[in-house]
Amino acid sequence: METMIAVEGARKYYRVAKRGKGLTAAVGQLFNRKYEIKKAVDDISFSIKRGEIVGFIGPNGAGKSTTIKMLSGILYPDAGRVEADGFIPYKQRKQYVKNIGVVFGQKSQLNWDLPLIESFELMKFIYRIPREQYEKNLRQFCELLDMESFLGQPVRQLSLGQRMRGDIVAALLHSPELVFLDEPTIGLDVVAKEKIREFIRYMNKERNTTIIFTTHDMQDIEKVCNRLIIIDKGKKIYDGSIEEIKDRYTNVKTIEVLLENGGKETETFDVRRTSVNAVLERIFAERRVKDISVCEPEIDEIIRDIYEGRLRLDAPSAEGGAL
Amino acid sequence: MRAYLEIAVRKFQDKMAYRLDFFMGIVNTAITIVVYLCIYRALYAGASEVDGITYRMVATNFVITLGLSNAFGYNEMFLQDKVHDGSITNEFLKPVSFTLRLLAENVGEGAFKLIFHFLPALLFTLLHTRLCPPKSALHLLAMLGSVALGYLILWLLSFIIQTWSFWLFSVWGIITIKNVLVSILAGTLLPMWFMPAALRRVIACTPFESIYFTPVRIYLGELDGAQLLSGVAVQTAWIAVLGLAAWIFWRRGVKKLVVQGG
Ligand SMILES: Nc1ncnc2c1ncn2[C@@H]1O[C@H](COP(=O)(O)OP(=O)(O)O)[C@@H](O)[C@H]1O
Ligand SMILES: [Mg+2]
Repeated sequence: METMIAVEGARKYYRVAKRGKGLTAAVGQLFNRKYEIKKAVDDISFSIKRGEIVGFIGPNGAGKSTTIKMLSGILYPDAGRVEADGFIPYKQRKQYVKNIGVVFGQKSQLNWDLPLIESFELMKFIYRIPREQYEKNLRQFCELLDMESFLGQPVRQLSLGQRMRGDIVAALLHSPELVFLDEPTIGLDVVAKEKIREFIRYMNKERNTTIIFTTHDMQDIEKVCNRLIIIDKGKKIYDGSIEEIKDRYTNVKTIEVLLENGGKETETFDVRRTSVNAVLERIFAERRVKDISVCEPEIDEIIRDIYEGRLRLDAPSAEGGAL
Repeated sequence: MRAYLEIAVRKFQDKMAYRLDFFMGIVNTAITIVVYLCIYRALYAGASEVDGITYRMVATNFVITLGLSNAFGYNEMFLQDKVHDGSITNEFLKPVSFTLRLLAENVGEGAFKLIFHFLPALLFTLLHTRLCPPKSALHLLAMLGSVALGYLILWLLSFIIQTWSFWLFSVWGIITIKNVLVSILAGTLLPMWFMPAALRRVIACTPFESIYFTPVRIYLGELDGAQLLSGVAVQTAWIAVLGLAAWIFWRRGVKKLVVQGG
């Protein structure tokens, strides 16, 4: 398959003005500003093929949005190579953006005062979408996302879930082949999330759209993606399938203990390093236990453990994760 | 080009949706004009002319100047709001120029107000006040062209200040000062004819004279032949200078955003 996105050694460092405390510092700042360097994206490389659907996850401030911004051409990388759809996004922005769709879940692109449908009509002019294509897309998307009922309402009256669906449709009406969705499910309820997931899947399956999206919700990833990239502190720490990450941790177990005083405790460990016996003995020695269960950790927990440094992904899978 | 035209037309149509705005706009323009005409009628106190300028010329000047300045207003905080909430970067994701798109929207709004605020107010004024006719049909045509150039000068002045939102926390104060300067120096309070000679020489070196006064003089026939051409040439020159400045500020602002990330 053809390569759609190639990123090599991309870096983005922000310069943040350093603030001292007190009046002297404030006055001093007027003349001699000190800056701190914030490494938002620090040497990231990956490549994505046409037709792939890839989920980016990582804790807040990991550098996901910064990566999306570099890929969509609205931020220059400080170093490294970023190429997408045969363009260098930040250099050939005008040409490049014709064929991409971008949604920033936290910032709506819709016109607050106008009915939703008017914002869609505007896209028709801006992207010069042929009428037939526009109408076909609009009909299909509205049906899939169940939007007919609020097309005529001003955007400011829409619920967050409705607005988000509107934003997604607005970004896809011109049938882009490459789509970036930055937290398209943020703050939505389960039903709205499911609708959006279905829609993303549909766009990828039926139209072979290459999709990259970021989220905090592992469910999004499990239900939609075939590939997962985990970013933390500006670095890529995992790139592969969800199955693989689960496989690597089949030896990791979680023991859940219900205490007599009503408390609940969990402990996660690698069975090849620490025997179940030893863990149980310790627990029984220290606590009064009412109930106990041993389970495989959910993907959410694995991810959390990775963020918190309790599991390391760089360990070869044969040895499993370190506790 | 087609896209920008569509954007202007849509803005024009959006404006039609607000009926209260529509009536208030007419009333507002008509009242402003009437108030100024009353003041100047009192100042003339029956005199046929002051400094060689008849009351009818003054009335004509005010109808054109005030009518246009009412029609040419729009939300000058637009760019600042977009920079503050970060949605400005969304604009870079569209395959059209943000600057031209903004101009198209403002022009659409201006065109709406010219037709639906200014024309009715003009008809209302004609019911009670006699105005000077244009010197000739050709002068009227030239004046309309000159009005378009005047609009561009005004728009560029505003846009330049708006681009400063990339560096300043708020440009509201500067916009306000600019608007006060325009109303004084472009002749919306005191007709340019009555300005002290020294001040007029200063104004002649600024873009303000080119905004409303050049069209007014063309209409009245004060600028004719070579003078008319040179008036339009000066307008064009200001557009070139201000356009260049606007372009530089805009490029630098965008660069700051895409290089530093805001
Ligand atoms: N415009 C900016 N100026 C300075 N620092 C920024 C800017 N944007 C993001 N950052 C910082 O860069 C880091 C990565 O941010 P971001 O890419 O938004 O993370 P994520 O989307 O994964 O939450 C964060 O620490 C954030 O504070
Ligand atoms: Mg983010």
